[in-house]
Amino acid sequence: MKTNVGVFFGCRSVEHEVSIISAVQAMRAINRDKYDVTPVYVAKNGRMYTGENLFEIENYRDLSKLLKECEEVTFVRNENGVIMHFLNTKLFKKKADVNIDVAFPIVHGTNCEDGTMAGYFEFLNLPYVGCDVASAAIGMDKAVFKDVLKKADIPVLDCVLIRAREYGLNKEEITEKIEKEIGFPLIVKPVNLGSSVGISKVKSKAELDEAITLAISFADRILCEKAITDLREINCSVLGDADECIASVCEEPFMHDEILSYKDKYEGGGQNSGASKGMASLGRKIPADISEEKAQEIKDLSLKTVKAMNASGVVRIDFLYDTKSDKVYVNEINTIPGSLAFYLWDASGIKYTDMLDRLIDLAFKRQRNRDNLTFTIDTNILSGVNFGSKGAKGAKM
Amino acid sequence: MLITVLITASICALFSLYKQFQMLQQNSYFPSRYIGWLKSSYTVYLALEAICFCLSSFLYTYEKFLLQEILLVILLAVRIFLCVKCYKTSIKKLVFTSRIKRLICAAVIILAALITVYVIMPDKLAGEICLMVCLMASIVSPIITLAAYYLTLPVEKAFSLYYVNDAKKILKSHKSLTVIGITGSYGKTTTKFILNRILSEKYNTVCTPHSFNTPMGVVRTVRESIKPQTQIFICEMGAKKKGDIKEICDIVHPQHGIITSVGAQHLDTFKSIDNVFSTKFELYDAVNKNGGGICLANIDSDEIKSRTDNAKNAVYFGEGTKFYADNIKYGASGSSFDLHLDGSTVSVSTRLLGKHSVADILAAAALSHALGVSDNDIKFAISSLKPTEHRLELKNFNGSLLIDDAYNSNPEGCLEAINVLNSFEGMKKTVITPGLIELGSKEYQSNYNLGLAAAKYCDIIILVGKNRSKPLCDAIAVTDFNTDNLYIADSFADAMKIYTPLCDENSVLLIENDLPDNYLN
Repeated sequence: MKTNVGVFFGCRSVEHEVSIISAVQAMRAINRDKYDVTPVYVAKNGRMYTGENLFEIENYRDLSKLLKECEEVTFVRNENGVIMHFLNTKLFKKKADVNIDVAFPIVHGTNCEDGTMAGYFEFLNLPYVGCDVASAAIGMDKAVFKDVLKKADIPVLDCVLIRAREYGLNKEEITEKIEKEIGFPLIVKPVNLGSSVGISKVKSKAELDEAITLAISFADRILCEKAITDLREINCSVLGDADECIASVCEEPFMHDEILSYKDKYEGGGQNSGASKGMASLGRKIPADISEEKAQEIKDLSLKTVKAMNASGVVRIDFLYDTKSDKVYVNEINTIPGSLAFYLWDASGIKYTDMLDRLIDLAFKRQRNRDNLTFTIDTNILSGVNFGSKGAKGAKM
Repeated sequence: MLITVLITASICALFSLYKQFQMLQQNSYFPSRYIGWLKSSYTVYLALEAICFCLSSFLYTYEKFLLQEILLVILLAVRIFLCVKCYKTSIKKLVFTSRIKRLICAAVIILAALITVYVIMPDKLAGEICLMVCLMASIVSPIITLAAYYLTLPVEKAFSLYYVNDAKKILKSHKSLTVIGITGSYGKTTTKFILNRILSEKYNTVCTPHSFNTPMGVVRTVRESIKPQTQIFICEMGAKKKGDIKEICDIVHPQHGIITSVGAQHLDTFKSIDNVFSTKFELYDAVNKNGGGICLANIDSDEIKSRTDNAKNAVYFGEGTKFYADNIKYGASGSSFDLHLDGSTVSVSTRLLGKHSVADILAAAALSHALGVSDNDIKFAISSLKPTEHRLELKNFNGSLLIDDAYNSNPEGCLEAINVLNSFEGMKKTVITPGLIELGSKEYQSNYNLGLAAAKYCDIIILVGKNRSKPLCDAIAVTDFNTDNLYIADSFADAMKIYTPLCDENSVLLIENDLPDNYLN
């Protein structure tokens, strides 16, 4: 009897392909003596598919051929738990429903990593790996994330939040405000996209409008924050939940451009082979070449961040290190980091297979905690209500 | 025409089977227990059935056209009326399970067979007998019930064998699963739920729900609730006779066990306390046979303490062992005490009250400790335990403390509740109670004892119902309890009216065995 893990990946997101790479890596590393794996590929149009071919990265070169070989599925709760139901209703091709014991979302970006997918599992009451709805949503919205961290006394850069419509209507006023409160150089970014999409560095007022226009094509809320001139970027991963968590070693990704762009993150490294390795293949130094005290400070802030937002699973927190003032700021969090940051855990002495095992345990732990809470009152309040002779329409409760 | 009468009579018989099937079901399909019920209530039953029988025989002798039809309708109406009445008045109704449906089919087949025999040989003796049986179907319904029971027995046996084997297969395929058995005369259900709560801090657990503790209840839990990710299965085991625990152990093969107590329960079927002991310790034998596991047993249970030589490999908990609780205190937020678990000490607090709760928590914490649950997890889980409703449940009343023990109705439990009340040191203690009922010959003495205890430890006593509470009054009168502080109320609502102006933030009130108002006068 093995636990059946449904690995969800793909999705309606700009990081669709990155998610495929991360998921295929994870499915290869998972302990097959303990778990069965059911791949669930969410196509860009939101339809869900399963099939044996989804385990091989090579098959994704021709997506339409791949999908033809797969079966479309949906998920349903019944008295035994959650089942994967095949939508194909042809009499002789019909397959039996499959029980899914736990969901493992390996998705990046909006419409999935932002709590959307967590909400889907919560609605089904299916245990799932990673952040819950609220923490995933906080992690995805950079503006809310900053507010939550500020409240917990974790250093973040001040920013100006701009709504696309407001900017369109009062360009001058807002430009002035940005100039006054932030000053140049600054960074413009959409509040809710990962992997550096839509982010640009602005050196002067002349470049600002173009940068903002680019950013608001990805999100209707964007933010501007001060660009640190003597900048090093340091990342740290955390594994666990708010009760109990550990921090990995720190890494320093190499910056080709001035900010780590989408190209660097996922298209860098090489033409074909590199791209299919995702985050793991990116140029980086592990552990980061920083003082032991700084590394410890970053690790402590990482743990504090996870507790402040009540995150769970494995996350990667990206820091900005101002070498001039020797200060570090939390920049953003990836609640489902590319390649699940396994390379950081490998360097910290936890094998990928064991890390996945821990993540699945955390999913069940959260489910147990939920089961110990009261969500519904067992007695039906309506059973004792007199609705009167005309039925519920005229009832007064 | 006679065929119509016969068919109608058979339909009447089917209605009369409702009560019989209900009783068979509630006696857990044990024919011996069902016959026991028949013996105890057959006279009442006979009187009711006599009317139906008279009508039936009337029909047989008078073959007048109209009269027969009218009587048929009356007969059917009476039968349906009795059946509906029985359905409406019974608290625990007949559940139409698949097994009951199979029994109904069997009964229909039996009645149909009788009619067929009569139709084939109307003038032979066999035919006459069948006719009589059919007409008297209402009165012979217990016989039909038993016939249907034995007719379906092979099918049922095949079903349960299939279920048992299926459960065994599930457990066998689950290599990493740890099974824990819990048994005992008292406290096994509570201990099970506490253990489940503590272990769920660290493991994926499944426990038998409610007080499911028969082999089939356990089998059902295994088949319905054990998932691949389940790490621990906690199995409550109940026994009414020798071999019952062994039967469950042979299905689930427990690695660990807890024996909460051995006491004089079900002595009618066990015959002797030695048999109770050896039955409960069938769990110990099973754990021993598996090897490597722990079987905890409560040394504070006298019947266990005096027989420790019989179970040398058991790990004992309670006074004088390495697992014990001390420093027990009661206060506004419940009880707090120190658990000593094999060298480490955990200070815990819980809303659960009473000595037995401490013992249940100790047993659960001891095994959890042995299974690697951290002290902090144990502490947190115990702090979040919820009391069962109306069982020493700590509440708030107008800013004062209230201990709701309204569902307690056994003499030992009541005395323990008074003890809990007494442990709220330095507070003004009040008890509201109508006394105990339905204890037969022991009723007066039990109430007298309760009165003595209340007079000894309480500052104010409010008795409910003048006649009901007389034994308590008698007891209080022989003590030096100040009768100014004794009140007698007409109803529970009245009692609360008396109490409300008397209480302040330094008051604690115990509501003991609050009876439904129809018992009071």
